[in-house]
Amino acid sequence: MVLGKFVEVGRVVKINYGPQEGKLATIIEILNDKRVLIDGPTTGVQRQVIPIRRLTLTKFNLKGATRGARTGVITKAIKKSDPFAQYQNTIAAKKVAKKALRAKLTDFDRFRVMILRKRRSALLSTQLKVLRKNNAGGKAAAQAKGGNKKK
Amino acid sequence: MPAKKRTVRIGNWYKSDDEKVHFTRKRKAPRPAKLRKIVPGQVLILLSGRFQGKRVVFLKQLKSGLLLVTGPFKINGVPLKRVNSAYVIPTSTKVDVTGVNANQIDDDYFKRTQAQRRKNEQGFWAKRGELTAEQQTAEKTRLDGKRNTQKSVDAALITAIKKTQLLKQYLGARFTIGKTTRPHELVF
Repeated sequence: MVLGKFVEVGRVVKINYGPQEGKLATIIEILNDKRVLIDGPTTGVQRQVIPIRRLTLTKFNLKGATRGARTGVITKAIKKSDPFAQYQNTIAAKKVAKKALRAKLTDFDRFRVMILRKRRSALLSTQLKVLRKNNAGGKAAAQAKGGNKKK
Repeated sequence: MPAKKRTVRIGNWYKSDDEKVHFTRKRKAPRPAKLRKIVPGQVLILLSGRFQGKRVVFLKQLKSGLLLVTGPFKINGVPLKRVNSAYVIPTSTKVDVTGVNANQIDDDYFKRTQAQRRKNEQGFWAKRGELTAEQQTAEKTRLDGKRNTQKSVDAALITAIKKTQLLKQYLGARFTIGKTTRPHELVF
């Protein structure tokens, strides 16, 4: 297994513990083997020192982030290439968004979801029946040829 | 100025130990329950009684503090009914009730009549025939009146409900809790 995600300047990280849980930020400076300085001007994360234990590394990098760069420099770099938006397109981010949406559903929404899922599954089952029937037609012909009495 | 001395009057009567003090209401009339943020037209989930789990439409709060709700009757079988707001979950779904007129309905509408009380007195074996002829016709007209009030109140409601997709089916279904539902996490 090749290690791909490194703790480095410019690495986009997700905070997974604390009051800023769920927010994205970039690593600006590495202090020691346990703490880093992060900043997320566009995502609402104040420039702060945070233990690496509270972060999850993503596969994205902020291009143009230099060691110890000020918030203004970081904001400019984000405007040029927004890795945070790229992260929102990943499957992991979408799963989190889906979960958040589902938690917000009202009673009526839940009812509608239930009805629509039932309708979708009904459509799927009718299609499946059609496919099975077509397949079965082929099978019956083969069996008839083989002299099988069972239908 | 010398402070007023508080004097405690000791009477001639001392309560014995085994005399129970019963709860006496200090107020003459009960204070109507303060309405939580429940708005006319809001869909409520009934939590107790014969219609538990049913989703009904809230019409107004009566003077006694109870909530006046209706199914509507055609949709889920709940008639015009009084309901205690403590046994209700308000949902965020609202129906447009601008055309609905429930002004003439108040607590007297739900009062038991003489004929009903008589029937209840006689209990299980009471038969309709035990009412006099005029009482029977009175009962019949009373029930017809109730049916008409129900219909007139529900008519405007049902047209409003039909405008939203699946709302009619939603009101017809009961609210249930399954194995995986977490009621404390549900948003209503």
